[in-house]
Amino acid sequence: MTRALVVYCHPLTESFTEATRNSVISGLKAADAEVRLTDLYADGFDPGYSALDYANSRDGGIEPALTGYIEDLAWCDTLIFVYPTWWAGQPSMLIGWIDRVWAGAAAQGDGGATGYGLPKRQNIKRLIAVTSHGSTKFINMVEGEAGKRTLTRCLRSTCHWRARTTWLALYAIDASTLAQREAFLRKVERRISNLT
Amino acid sequence: MLVLLVIADPLEDSFSHLLARRAEEGLLAGGHEVIVLDLYDQGFQVAMSSEERAAYHDDEPICDPMVAEHVAIIQRAEAVVFVYPTWSSGLPAILKGWFERVMVPGVAFRFDERTGKVRPALGNVRRIVGISSYACSRRHMRVLNDNGRRTITRAFRVNTGFGTRTRWFGFYDSTESTESRRAEFAALVEREMAELR
Repeated sequence: MTRALVVYCHPLTESFTEATRNSVISGLKAADAEVRLTDLYADGFDPGYSALDYANSRDGGIEPALTGYIEDLAWCDTLIFVYPTWWAGQPSMLIGWIDRVWAGAAAQGDGGATGYGLPKRQNIKRLIAVTSHGSTKFINMVEGEAGKRTLTRCLRSTCHWRARTTWLALYAIDASTLAQREAFLRKVERRISNLT
Repeated sequence: MLVLLVIADPLEDSFSHLLARRAEEGLLAGGHEVIVLDLYDQGFQVAMSSEERAAYHDDEPICDPMVAEHVAIIQRAEAVVFVYPTWSSGLPAILKGWFERVMVPGVAFRFDERTGKVRPALGNVRRIVGISSYACSRRHMRVLNDNGRRTITRAFRVNTGFGTRTRWFGFYDSTESTESRRAEFAALVEREMAELR
């Protein structure tokens, strides 16, 4: 059975990102997956990697506020990020989760460090991003697609060696019509329900 | 030139802070005026708040007095220098948050009312410099894609002046570095910053 962790990041309720999250959840239910949901803003997650985090990563200590997140990350085999793309990449809140939970808790990784600070996450076999961009695909290519490559290259390289990545993105949302947005929501649900 | 120096590193005795000091010395020696923003030291709020997100497309997208101060500086700056450690191939969250919260509509760019397209608004910035340390090798970084560097030299750059030039100083394999290699790199940064025109 698929164990899916959904990491959701948007500051407002009733946002389009929230609607995509709901599509992801119903897709996962249709696929009979076990689901855990992390809502970073609702949790009031502190995204600032601190001097204390640094000390912990050296001494093997663990920040009590992070234990639940680290446990969820170790539990899942499918990790799904749902977020809006800001400044070409993940929102700082989500980057903070990567800094502190994924990378920062290096001492708790199952396969040791990987030479550039990130611990191995062998349990993750599937990485998925569901996101929306204000600008077009072309502008995103000019700007270097930092968000996409953070996922498909950097994070991917620390997962299971056969891990697959899926990129589900709605570009040019600023100029999109309601029909396009609804079609994207249906596509997300369909793709997620056909995960396995 | 008025140079804005932005530092993002949680450790006060870090290599980033040393590099920032040396860069500042170089810039001052070159006759530039320097304003330093140490994001961790200032207690800069990392993530965009729900209040800020709700106001983002309004006439008043700035809700935090600290952000307003930073906006006043960036609108006068002719060069911006970023100093940070690269984590997970990208910017530390606090620096990414700085872009999200300070570079709002009306500051970094404007939405063209007629076409709905985004137009640059930081024509005053003519030079962008990045100084970053990497735990991995340059080759490995190339394979992973240097997402922090791209965010600065591409996504940020398109909002600045048309002929803006960028410089990048990458210190690779930082975890295996020797004292002498670090000193050499710091000296290079200081020398190059003194010659920034």
